[in-house]
Amino acid sequence: MDRLPVPVMAPRETPAISFTFDRRPETATQVRLEAFEGPLALLLALIEQRQLDVLTVRLGDLAAAYLEALALLPGDRLPHLSTFVGVASQLILIKSRALLPRSSALAEAAAEEGPDPEEELRRRLVLYRVYRDAGLALRARLESGVALFHREPAAAYAAGVAGARPADEAPLDPALLAAALVRTAQLAPPPAPPPELVARTITLAECAEAIRAALRGAPLVVLQELVAGIRDRVLVVVTFLAMLELVKRRELVVEQDAPWGPIRCRATTTAERIAAGVATDVPIDETLADFA
Amino acid sequence: MDEPDDDAVLDRLAGATPGPGAAELTVAQLEALLFVAERPLTRREIAALAGVDFETVDARLGDLEVALRGRGVRLLAAGDRVELATAPEAGSLIARYVGAEGVKLSPAALETLAIVAYRQPVTRGVIERIRGVDSDYVVRSLLHRRLIAELGRADTPGRPILFGTSFEFLERFGLTTLDDLPALDAETAARLVDGASAPAGPDDA
Repeated sequence: MDRLPVPVMAPRETPAISFTFDRRPETATQVRLEAFEGPLALLLALIEQRQLDVLTVRLGDLAAAYLEALALLPGDRLPHLSTFVGVASQLILIKSRALLPRSSALAEAAAEEGPDPEEELRRRLVLYRVYRDAGLALRARLESGVALFHREPAAAYAAGVAGARPADEAPLDPALLAAALVRTAQLAPPPAPPPELVARTITLAECAEAIRAALRGAPLVVLQELVAGIRDRVLVVVTFLAMLELVKRRELVVEQDAPWGPIRCRATTTAERIAAGVATDVPIDETLADFA
Repeated sequence: MDEPDDDAVLDRLAGATPGPGAAELTVAQLEALLFVAERPLTRREIAALAGVDFETVDARLGDLEVALRGRGVRLLAAGDRVELATAPEAGSLIARYVGAEGVKLSPAALETLAIVAYRQPVTRGVIERIRGVDSDYVVRSLLHRRLIAELGRADTPGRPILFGTSFEFLERFGLTTLDDLPALDAETAARLVDGASAPAGPDDA
């Protein structure tokens, strides 16, 4: 059986329906569904292809054609399938009521259930057709070139809204880029010098003065207590050497009862220094030549 | 283009007292003001700027609308906002000048736009009830194209968003007001009135 479709209505962007060769349009319809987004659009197209009046057509008679079209529903329309099936169920209900004889009691009961499903569906179709046709009228107006334009804040924005593209410009000269790079390098400030390392200086005189200061506040000073908390080994060593220098100058008397025991320092009296015949006003020799 | 908030504009205007001769509004002054303004102005803004009441603004807007008939620019009005725009018959010429391309809308978008235009303010539920199919995507597409805009929320359960057409819609379709929309079929228009007066159904949400 040859089923080559013959398109009978295919205006631009309009839902199209094709009939098969061997069957009458009144009994079967092969429908292209790409443009039918909803069931009302499909049902209305079926009616209009038969050149029937939506206000008088018996909608139940379209159930078979609608179901046949529904069977051709592409897979990508599945999200909308429930809406198509909903209208199909309405059509089947309408057709069944038209075919089956109904007693007056059943008719009265149906009337109490609510509005007649056929008239309800017809009302929806009419309402849909009104806005579909209004949309087509809007499209005709859109295509007639009657758009209005208002002043835009800036020409560039107006051009952007209108979809205009700026004119093509000549490619940038690489020499300009190189010159700009050179200028940038010249303008850049020189890098900051690295921070200078300053050596810490500890003198015997400073440490000796620290020992003298301690002895002025106390008659006896323990060297280990004096350097307690100092983590700099050099400072501890220089303090120890300063103590020895002061001992040599007879300013101190040092006692230690046992190795690693506390080193107790005591300032000598003036009589002791005179008896020793040592001058105390000579500066301390920082070169440590005497120790060598 | 985002339009500045009305209240912010009016706060700025509140600090400026009307200058000499500002407590009046002639048709020529109103035309000049709308010509300079690069966005739609509200009646409230115009009244605050000119130091006149709303009735005076409305009267002058009416005079200006009449005076501009047959001219190259027209008064465009949507809700409380007005602006000057080129005449519809100059649309093709201006479109060639600015390089504008025509808007391409699908049948679904045109249907939805027609429903919004004729029944605004309208909820997405009403749109879907009329079209018989889910319309979330097409509504969002029209919002993205700025052909429709959110007008507020309905006082119904769920407080659904109300949609209406925008200035862009009027401009794109060459309408100076919504009254210029093509008339619907008289017989079916009567049905629409009946439908519009019916109470909102649960699908309005």
